Amino acid sequence: MASMAARSIRALRGSTKPSSLVAAGKRRFSASAHDDAYETAKWEKITYAGIATCTILSIYNLSKGHPHHEPPPPYPYLHIRNKEFPWGPDGLFEEKHHGEH
Amino acid sequence: MIESQRHSYHLVDPSPWPISGSLGAFATTVRGVMYMHPFQGGATLLSLGLIFILYTMFVWWRDVLHESMLEGHLTKAVQLGPRYGSILFIVSEVMFLFALFQASSHSSLAPTVEIGGIWPPKGIGVLDPREIPFLNTPILPSSGAAVTWAHHAILAGKEKRAVYTLVATISLALVSTGFQGMEYYQAPSTISDSIYGSTFSSATGFHGFHVIIGTLFLIICGIRQYLVDYCPTKSLCILAHKCRDRRDYGRSCSQRNYPKVDLGLFEIVPFNHN
Repeated sequence: MASMAARSIRALRGSTKPSSLVAAGKRRFSASAHDDAYETAKWEKITYAGIATCTILSIYNLSKGHPHHEPPPPYPYLHIRNKEFPWGPDGLFEEKHHGEH
Repeated sequence: MIESQRHSYHLVDPSPWPISGSLGAFATTVRGVMYMHPFQGGATLLSLGLIFILYTMFVWWRDVLHESMLEGHLTKAVQLGPRYGSILFIVSEVMFLFALFQASSHSSLAPTVEIGGIWPPKGIGVLDPREIPFLNTPILPSSGAAVTWAHHAILAGKEKRAVYTLVATISLALVSTGFQGMEYYQAPSTISDSIYGSTFSSATGFHGFHVIIGTLFLIICGIRQYLVDYCPTKSLCILAHKCRDRRDYGRSCSQRNYPKVDLGLFEIVPFNHN
């Protein structure tokens, strides 16, 4: 079993000599194992801080409500229709032009 | 075969997927034109073309997973390919979005008389950047922080933790997309309202599309991470080696020769029972 594993690692490396790309038995990344634990803890804190910020901002923003706009005069450069869309007269987010406004 | 190989590159076997993907893309282009000009059956043919591309993507990536995890072809030299590919893809996106920003800036610097000679054009209701746009701005970097956390968790060997962090990443991205959809629906102007609407909706819309693609990507990564987490070896690297050792066993055992119509992802599943 162990010899098979060693052989397959050698085969993966593509050479019987130790290659500079892969150190024997261990994957080499730019950071060592200790640094990875440190980085994990750091980004965990940053993520929690980000989520907290977003939650507070969301509550603040959504509690304000959104402004209502008056429909503009029919200027020729607005609501351009050269031909119908394949699915009908309105664009994907344009229901409001034919709605209650 | 790989035993006699004296280099670390992967010489691929003949595959039908490049020509299949090309034909799918060609069919989709032609049928997309048919759909946009009202040809009969254009929508059906376009859907078939898209399904053909999706099928090709599915089986091609299934083969890639098979080659990397079962056959052990994902050497350091081979990993450079997808790495350069990702970098080139991001660079192309930066250039694409730069062009859209330039279209908007160019139109704003000397507004033409056709839009009233002012910017934003007369009659255009502009979104308040301090509301939803300001809210969505920290959500995406938070999602980025969460995926960085996942990355370091995998490197540190915390495979289970990486699944949760990917769930956090995907949730934040979905919240962001949801807010953008809400904003689009409530926006006073749309893509058909003057050069302002065209450039604004193109830039924000393609960015939204970019976020959706990233979300799909990370959903697949998360599912794979979740499945690999069940492997008793707990390590992708060891997993690849072990599965390679057991390849002959796996091939000879008829029950494991699942029909290839199943999810590409489930190429991993048989390993989990080893």
